[in-house]
Amino acid sequence: MAGKIPTSGQKILYLSFVFLGSIIFYFDFTTNSFQSIKNGYTSFKISSIFLIKETTIEPFKNFFNLTKSKENLIQENNNLKEALDISNLNNYLISKENIFYKDKNIIQYPIDKKNSSFTYSIAKIKYINHNIFNCCDNHRMYIELISSNLSSNLESVVFNNSGIIGQVITDEKYLEVILLTDIDHSIPIKSKSESFYCNARGSGRANIIICSYNPLVWDEDILLGKEFFTSGLGGIFPKDIIIGNVVNIIDIDSTKKDLEIKLFADPLESDLFGVIRN
Amino acid sequence: MKDFSKKIIFIFLINYIDLSIAPIISKALIIFPLTFLSYSLYVYRSNKNIGPIEGFLIGLLVDLISGNFFGINATLFCIITYLINIYSNSFKIFSYLQVCIFFGVSATGYIGFSQLALNLYNFSYSTLLISFIFNILFCIFITILSSYFPKTINTKI
Repeated sequence: MAGKIPTSGQKILYLSFVFLGSIIFYFDFTTNSFQSIKNGYTSFKISSIFLIKETTIEPFKNFFNLTKSKENLIQENNNLKEALDISNLNNYLISKENIFYKDKNIIQYPIDKKNSSFTYSIAKIKYINHNIFNCCDNHRMYIELISSNLSSNLESVVFNNSGIIGQVITDEKYLEVILLTDIDHSIPIKSKSESFYCNARGSGRANIIICSYNPLVWDEDILLGKEFFTSGLGGIFPKDIIIGNVVNIIDIDSTKKDLEIKLFADPLESDLFGVIRN
Repeated sequence: MKDFSKKIIFIFLINYIDLSIAPIISKALIIFPLTFLSYSLYVYRSNKNIGPIEGFLIGLLVDLISGNFFGINATLFCIITYLINIYSNSFKIFSYLQVCIFFGVSATGYIGFSQLALNLYNFSYSTLLISFIFNILFCIFITILSSYFPKTINTKI
């Protein structure tokens, strides 16, 4: 509660200060004499606010902006990489050496002629066990579709910008891809001259498939470095797509030879894949 | 010294809020002198006897930080200090509503005088009337608030 009631002496003091206040007000109102004090205070206020902002808020703001711009840069980089990967996939698809739609009997939908655009699906890698891929027989990979133009992706061919890497065996939320190098997988291949055909099975080693054949049946001379292509037999893979070249020839006996073919496409070299259905 | 610093910081804070909300509520023809009301409440609640010197100096500081002509707040703060002190015994028998009306009227007086001195060409009775009602309602609101939160606002307004 407020204190005591002012005495007569205090009332005079009140009156004096009210009078003094009025004089100051009148003086300031008519002559504007205190403008320099007001300007000084204003400049002090502005510089104080600036200084406080500079020392307290600005470092945090700069840090935040720095991280934000870095994040933006990373995002931009990722977007560019993705666009580049897609462009590479497109280029791979239309390159003269690997014209996917050359085998018209198998690939029916790679190009939407109305829109002049590719209608294959684009998928992003979700999971691949690098250790298993480099050491063991079971070579599987999980991919997630980013854009899909197909109702079902089962048995679709999966490729990256270097070539075919496998086929889809499970079509769920994530597509399970069996790689060409999985020991349970085989791909029908042929030589360029089309006088040699075989089923190349996965070796369980990274980027190597093995073609076993009987030299008494297939008499074509196979040398190191010879290139092999998909034969299109079996109806899964399109015809005439280059697969790899021979890196090793193993003579097992007079009726059996193994050709070790190094694949051109490495599933670990890209994050983005094309999924195309026959 | 600690008490003095607290007061200064509080004045700056209240004045900052006052100046911040003024442009918004002025669109509704309301002038809400928060600094003046806060000072009035401080004098009213204070157990010490607030003298004219303190009122004058606080008024001068408010003049400086709010960019008004020097002396206007100093004078008005002195007057309200005097009025509150002179009615200090009467307040004890006043009801809450009467106290609210007193502060509402004094705030309206402050608005009227400052408008006459600083804003004569745009002086408006409707602004004065709406502000009068608003200030009384604000005081009633604070009183009700103090009833609901007696420990936070630990005395009757």
